[in-house]
Order: sequence, then C-alpha cells, then structure tokens
Amino acid sequence: MAQHNRRNEILAAIGRAPMLSVGAARIIDLAARADHELDDIIDLVKNDAPLTAKLLRIVNSPAYGLLEPATSVERAVSYLGENTVVSIVLEETLGPLLNRPLDGYQSAGGDLWRHDLRVAIAAKEIALLNPRRCQPDTAFTAGLLHDIGKSVLSGFLRDEYHRIIDELMTRAIPDYTAGEREHLGIDHAEVGFTLAENWQLPEIIRMVIRHHHEPALAPEETRALVYTVHLGDILAMMGGYGTGTDNLFYRLDQSYVDWLNFGPGQIGPVMLTVEEKFTETLQVMQLR
Amino acid sequence: MAEIVIGVGGLGASNSKGTTIKTYALGSCVAVVLLDPQTRTVGMVHVALPDSSIRPDKVASLPGYFADTGIPALLQEMRRCGTRGPQGLIVKLAGGAQIMDQNNTFNIGKRNALAAKKILWGFGLAPVAEDLGANFSRTVTLSTDTGVMTLSTPGRPAWHL
Repeated sequence: MAQHNRRNEILAAIGRAPMLSVGAARIIDLAARADHELDDIIDLVKNDAPLTAKLLRIVNSPAYGLLEPATSVERAVSYLGENTVVSIVLEETLGPLLNRPLDGYQSAGGDLWRHDLRVAIAAKEIALLNPRRCQPDTAFTAGLLHDIGKSVLSGFLRDEYHRIIDELMTRAIPDYTAGEREHLGIDHAEVGFTLAENWQLPEIIRMVIRHHHEPALAPEETRALVYTVHLGDILAMMGGYGTGTDNLFYRLDQSYVDWLNFGPGQIGPVMLTVEEKFTETLQVMQLR
Repeated sequence: MAEIVIGVGGLGASNSKGTTIKTYALGSCVAVVLLDPQTRTVGMVHVALPDSSIRPDKVASLPGYFADTGIPALLQEMRRCGTRGPQGLIVKLAGGAQIMDQNNTFNIGKRNALAAKKILWGFGLAPVAEDLGANFSRTVTLSTDTGVMTLSTPGRPAWHL
C-alpha cells in the first residue's frame, strides 16, 4: 500500500514539474523529424531574439577566432551545428531540472546534464554507423532527454537508495530500475515518459525515454532508435559519466545486434570519439 | 595540502609531502598506481582503453589513454621524480567496472585490466592489490604520505586498498 501511495505522490509531482517553453518544444519537435534540415532550425532560431543573441555571442567569442564577426543566424547556426544549438536550447529551458543535484542518486549538480550530453553524443555516433536505421540528429536529441525522469524521481529516492544498493549487491533484484519499481512503485523511465507526455514531446522521443532500459518492448518502428540510445547510455556509464548510486547497475539487451551494426571492435573507437566530442561540446557550452 | 587531479587518459607522479593524487569516476577505465618505497614517490595513470593501435595519433597528446602507452609513460614520470627503474615498485589497480552483460561483449573494463597486467608483466611488475570489476564506478585518491589508496562510489562508505 505504501508503495502505491508513493507512486501516486510521484505522479502528482510530475504534474507540478515546470512546463517546457514553446521554443524548446518546437525545436525538439523539429529535431525528432527524420526529414528536417538545418534551414528549418535556422528559421526557428530567427523567431527567437534571445536565442539569436546568445548564439551570436558564442560564435563571436575568441574561441571561434572568426576573422569577420558573424552577424546572421545562418552563419551562427552553420558554425555551431544543429546538435550544439539543440543542447543550448534544452540546457537553457530545462536547466533547473537537469543541473540540480540528484540527492536520491547521490550525484552533484550538473552530473545529470553531463551524462545526458555524453549519451547524446554516443547515440549519434552509433546512429552514424547505422544511417539507414536511425537518424543521427534525432538520436542526439533523444539522448539528451532520455533520463529526464530522474530529475523528478530523485527526491523520492533519498530514503530508498541504500536499500536498492544492498539488494543489488546481494543480487536480490536484477537492476536499478527494478529497485525503483519495488520501492517506489515506478521507475525513472516511466516517470520521464509521463513527463514527456505532459510536455507533448514527439512519440519517438517518448518511446526512447520509456524503453531505454528495455528496448525490446519499444514499438517496432522506434526500436532501432531506442537500441541506439540504450547503447549510448551504456557507453556513457562505462566512460565514468553516470548519475550516482545507480552506477552501472543496468542490463545490456543483447538483441541490439538484430537492430544495429555495432560490433565489439567499434566500441573502443566510438568511446574515444565520444570523449573528444564531449570535451569540445562542453567548451562551447561554457562560452554562453 | 596539494591535490593533483588526473583526468581520463592523464597521468602524474609526486613525492612531495602532503600531496594527494586523485581521479574521478572510473567506469570501465582502470587506474594503475605505482608506489616506490625507496623515494616515497607515488604515481597514477587513468587508462581508458587497452591498446593504442586503434588511434596511434592520440598517443603523443594523451599517452595515458591506452594501457600499452600509459604505463611506460607513467614509469617515465616516476623516473623524473627520482625512481630508478621498475624493480621494487609496488603496483595497485582499481576500476574496470562493467555493465550487466552476460556475454561480456561490452566488457572493456576487463580488457583494460588484462592489458594493464600484461604490460606490467613486461616490466617484471605485478599488482599486490586490486579492486576491479563489479557494476560500480570508483573515485580513487592516493596519498603521497602514506601510499594508501582510498576508493569511493556514490551511496557507499569509502574503503581502502
């Protein structure tokens, strides 16, 4: 009964979470479409004066070393690239959720955002190896949002994480999401999915959030993307960018081989590329 | 108290009193720690991948990223601090965590640890203590004063090696 009450409490907390800004909702919607182009992003940015000013400030910072200052949205977006623009928009609008410490996971402020960014970059790299299965920019955006549920669930895990860790160490439960469900009646994937429904995020992004730890349960038409983010999540955790107490207590779904071309020999090179791109992206983000 | 922070693929050594060498959140990465009782020098390299052949161009800027180049580079750094050679060095290893993966497809952690041991054997060295594997990341702090390695992971008390 207590667990049932916690679930209802958590669902109520999801309802109180901040709404997504109109600009952020539009850019996620656009980035999730397989057929979108950079011009679509440029058009969207043009209608957002504060975002335009921010992107121009970044691209004209000394780090970019432009000979002539960029004065147009077109030039700024071309220099930064779609993924960086999406990252800046999401961090701006979801910063209060993504950057706060996750006490229930014992992780510091910013850890969730860095994990999400790492997953996004890894998912895109895996998608680039599977261009017919998966749109790389959609993989990036889905990666940024996949763990949004942790920002809400964390507050309810403060008194529970010790028990979950003990159960994992004694193998009483199969993985961390099982511990969340056992103690709170809901896991971070379902919390994130419900939040994404409230925000009216595109279906494909909602499916990634819902099934990123159980990709085999995703609808078939979204499964390649869900597996991509599943693997990106694992590579981020292996690289030391987890979100605290949940550590690497998640299962690899071996059936990814039926959906993606990603052999054992590709793991190391992709991890190294992710490390390099992650460092570059963080540097750009710090220019804001 | 001075603190040297070692990033992914980084390395460092010191024999200055009151110094700690620290590396954060080793997932599948492995920290190779060397201690020289003669000169009281301690060193650490944060190895991310077993073998540099996948990206030889990376070695010049970040030799510590790979086990095969990181360990020789750490030994060189130890020599700069007065260590004469590999003989007599104490070795400890930590990290090499893995995701829950029955088939070990993604077990880079295990491969990192094995590669590190193989390179160390080439120098006549073997670990006297290790804390490897499992499903949790580790932050490692090493004291130049005591040579004690302290390990921590979110949600659990710290432990020593």
